[in-house]
Amino acid sequence: MSKRPVLIEKKGTIVFLILNRPKQSNLVDEELAWAIKDSCRFINEDSSIRVMILTGTETCFSTGRQTFPDSMPPYPDDWINKMQTAASIAKVNIPTIAAINGDALDHGLELALACDLRVADWNARLGFRDLSRGLFPWDGGTQRLSRIVGRSTALDLLLTSRILTAKKALAVGLINHVTRQGNALNYAVNLASSISELAPIAMRYTKEAIHRGLDMPLDQGLKLEADLSFLLHGTTDRSEGIDSFLTKRDPYFLGQ
Amino acid sequence: MIMDSFETLDFSVGDKVALIMLKRPEVRNAFNTTMRDDLFQVIETIKADYAITGSIIYGSGKDFCAGADLTEFGTAPSQSIARTIRWERDLWSLFLNNPKPMIAAVHGNCIGSGFEIALLCDVIIASYNARFSMPEARLGLIAAAGGTQTLPRSVGPSKAISIFSSPDSITSQQAHSMGIVSKVVSIKRLMDSARDQATYLSNLRPELIAACKFAVNRGCSLPLNQGLLAETRSALRLMKTQ
Repeated sequence: MSKRPVLIEKKGTIVFLILNRPKQSNLVDEELAWAIKDSCRFINEDSSIRVMILTGTETCFSTGRQTFPDSMPPYPDDWINKMQTAASIAKVNIPTIAAINGDALDHGLELALACDLRVADWNARLGFRDLSRGLFPWDGGTQRLSRIVGRSTALDLLLTSRILTAKKALAVGLINHVTRQGNALNYAVNLASSISELAPIAMRYTKEAIHRGLDMPLDQGLKLEADLSFLLHGTTDRSEGIDSFLTKRDPYFLGQ
Repeated sequence: MIMDSFETLDFSVGDKVALIMLKRPEVRNAFNTTMRDDLFQVIETIKADYAITGSIIYGSGKDFCAGADLTEFGTAPSQSIARTIRWERDLWSLFLNNPKPMIAAVHGNCIGSGFEIALLCDVIIASYNARFSMPEARLGLIAAAGGTQTLPRSVGPSKAISIFSSPDSITSQQAHSMGIVSKVVSIKRLMDSARDQATYLSNLRPELIAACKFAVNRGCSLPLNQGLLAETRSALRLMKTQ
């Protein structure tokens, strides 16, 4: 197995971002953070990629949190910005799926929360242990968690440092699917294949309208949605999609 | 009972409640530009008529609405004209800014723009056989009747993306457990149930309903402190009119 901290594998239109430090539980340190950010940039620049799957090698997803360096760096903001990898994952413009093949805790859960969809192995556990350790999440945990599961579940999980089983995580809406043991990645691949058959630009715009729209007043969100929809008028994918529907055949989208 | 017949819908008022029946059953009530204009007229009437306290929208035949009429697509003169018309005939904002309660009574297929119309209403009551889906991305489109904004505001971003990216539809019960549908009933009970709800709401002070709709629709995407401020202002105004 390669020693690179992150493996990028492209299979057709699906790209796999694989955290490859099982011995360190894929703890996000400076090197891993840099590798994830670099990979996300690469993915955004490759228009042939339609779906991203984030997962880990063996049965490890990602746990733990890097604490501040012993001597406080002169610019602590820079240090934290450098470490904020969930922010880069959230900026990936295609649909993203976290295949949670093992525990997703602390910073590891923040990475999963930055994906659009989460599929977890039956054995995986999810939660933030930070407050019980005197730490505080700083990679979107407090913001993305509450937007996904609602305010009260988010406060409950953060304040009590409670760790959820995958089944419980599904019940509170933290993940979208639970799979039997060892099957999270397979499930995610099937999901990704089905998403990759959708019109890629339309899917990217849908993602953008949802995430950016939630940050705006509703009337502004409606304007964003309408403008993105008019931008799609010029695509060949739109003609292809409508023609395939009217002539009752499967569409073939070029992403143009 | 006042009754008015449009090309794509029937409009009637009984016991202060307006009924809007989508009436293109031969194409599963597909939404087209005529229906847009008919709905625009009807909802303006509902807003303006003091005798109307609320409305119920439902479909004739086997479905609520199977989405946009794709045979019309590509007939718009140009992107920029289409964009102008979108804001001149802003039907979706009219739904959202209607101060009176709107109930969608959904049965059968509720797809694409049909699903979006239901989401623009305040309450969705569905029969057991209702099926909801957003197939836009399979057609090279995005939802453009507010769906990318209304759905994530009711189920969160992740479930919304899951629905937008899935080829499968969701059942009434699934929609109910996600919080999209407020009540699931038998198809026989569907209209009675919607009428009961409308009658209950028509007995409340209308300005309370209007303030509540405004506070929720506006507040759910404001920073909390601003949402709270808007709520306080509404409450103070309502105290004065008590």
